[in-house]
Amino acid sequence: MGEEKKEGEFEPKIIGFTCNWCTYASADLAGTSRKKYPPNARIIRLMCSGRLDPMFVLKALLNGADGVFIGGCHPGECHYIKGNFYARRRIAAIRTILKQFGLDNRVRSEWISASEGDKFARVMTEMAEDLKKLGPNPMRGKIL
Amino acid sequence: MKGAELGIEDLEGFFRGLLEKEVVDCLVMPHVAGKNIAYMMVTDPKRIESSPGKAIFAPSFSVNAAGIVKGWTVANKVGLVAKPCEIRAAIELVKLNQMDKDSLLLISVDCAGAFENQVYADHSDEIGEWLDSGKIEELKGKGIELREACTICDSRLADVGDIGIVRLNGDKVVVAGLTNMGEAALTALELPLEDKEIERKDEKARIAEEAKKNEEALPKISSIEELEAFLQDCIVCKNCRDVCPVCYCKECFFDQPLGNPASGDLLNLAELRGAIGVPANQLFYHLTRVYHVSTTCVGCGACADACPKDIPLTRYYPVIARKVQEIFEYEPGKDVEEPLPFVVYEEEELEDKLR
Repeated sequence: MGEEKKEGEFEPKIIGFTCNWCTYASADLAGTSRKKYPPNARIIRLMCSGRLDPMFVLKALLNGADGVFIGGCHPGECHYIKGNFYARRRIAAIRTILKQFGLDNRVRSEWISASEGDKFARVMTEMAEDLKKLGPNPMRGKIL
Repeated sequence: MKGAELGIEDLEGFFRGLLEKEVVDCLVMPHVAGKNIAYMMVTDPKRIESSPGKAIFAPSFSVNAAGIVKGWTVANKVGLVAKPCEIRAAIELVKLNQMDKDSLLLISVDCAGAFENQVYADHSDEIGEWLDSGKIEELKGKGIELREACTICDSRLADVGDIGIVRLNGDKVVVAGLTNMGEAALTALELPLEDKEIERKDEKARIAEEAKKNEEALPKISSIEELEAFLQDCIVCKNCRDVCPVCYCKECFFDQPLGNPASGDLLNLAELRGAIGVPANQLFYHLTRVYHVSTTCVGCGACADACPKDIPLTRYYPVIARKVQEIFEYEPGKDVEEPLPFVVYEEEELEDKLR
């Protein structure tokens, strides 16, 4: 899509966890409205961001993912009323832990509603660019 | 708060009284075992040792006693006499529904820091039964050092639980009721109760400052590569989990096939990645565990004591956990009524910590 990929350029791998009701739908909308964004993310659909066990984030990073994206409904608009409030606390905690080891900037979460296809495309673009600047995950290829 | 000043020799009668008046059905408390200090569970008042002050204040750490009563489902009332870090862990266990508060009488004792129990056993004559800062320095000069966890502990005064036993100069103690349950217990013993001020704000501030200084002086683990190096000797025996008072899952993820892959599962993983370290999941285990205990870690250092490879885990678990506790402004074990951070939320918070 769009620009030609340069030979040998680092392409970050992003694992995206999105909730079924908002962010997953926003990715759908971004697609159906033909928004352009880089194809670095592999999306895993959860029913709610509250389903995200922070171990998912750790496992993705330790297995060499360059970035982890977490998407949920805006606070107060959760399909299950308060799932994303709990998710927010967990994400803040796991990012605080990862910060000690310099990995927090590989984890980004955003609240993107089903109507915000353009926001989804923008966040994916920004994240891919940020990770390109950051370089590959130091855990990549390690014997763990 | 209500309390009574006693001579240290009166503690024998105090503990006996708790059993005789059936304030508690049993006491879990330290006793002198040879050259060391160990926990015992007493139901017979006659078996309370003479001069229990020698054992309860002794600077020796064996296990975190909160772990002893973890997961009990009994109607009996258990009195737990232990150091503040252990009492704080017990309070966290109550909040985690691992113990019914109504069946626990928590009695904290002043602590000046402790030695690993094997160190204490080797030098018990020199160390004695109570420490002051002069003595700590003197022993340090001889190469007898406090546990690292104790040097960075900022809450070691007996101000948690239902009853606090404060050590005063000149072999005097104050037994103070910190909750209604505690006061009721002291009343049942017919102790001469009067209003006591045991808050000791200045001392607390001094301890906190010293602890902070010591914590900052510890070697830092500041990158994932450094963490890898720090943990390189780990054999994933999970002793640190087993002795941890606040690690409470009945079935740990790392005992299940996904967390502890073997046989075909392990071969598949190796196939997937080309090469994997074995025993598997060393880094994953410690990162997951630090997240799991991040809000409840009381910093007792039992994990570091238990590590067969002598990895100084005190520089990892309590230090990292404290960072998480800071963002929720949560102090584990401080207040039994305060909810755990992960079971509550505020509608507007933490947005600066998400991206």
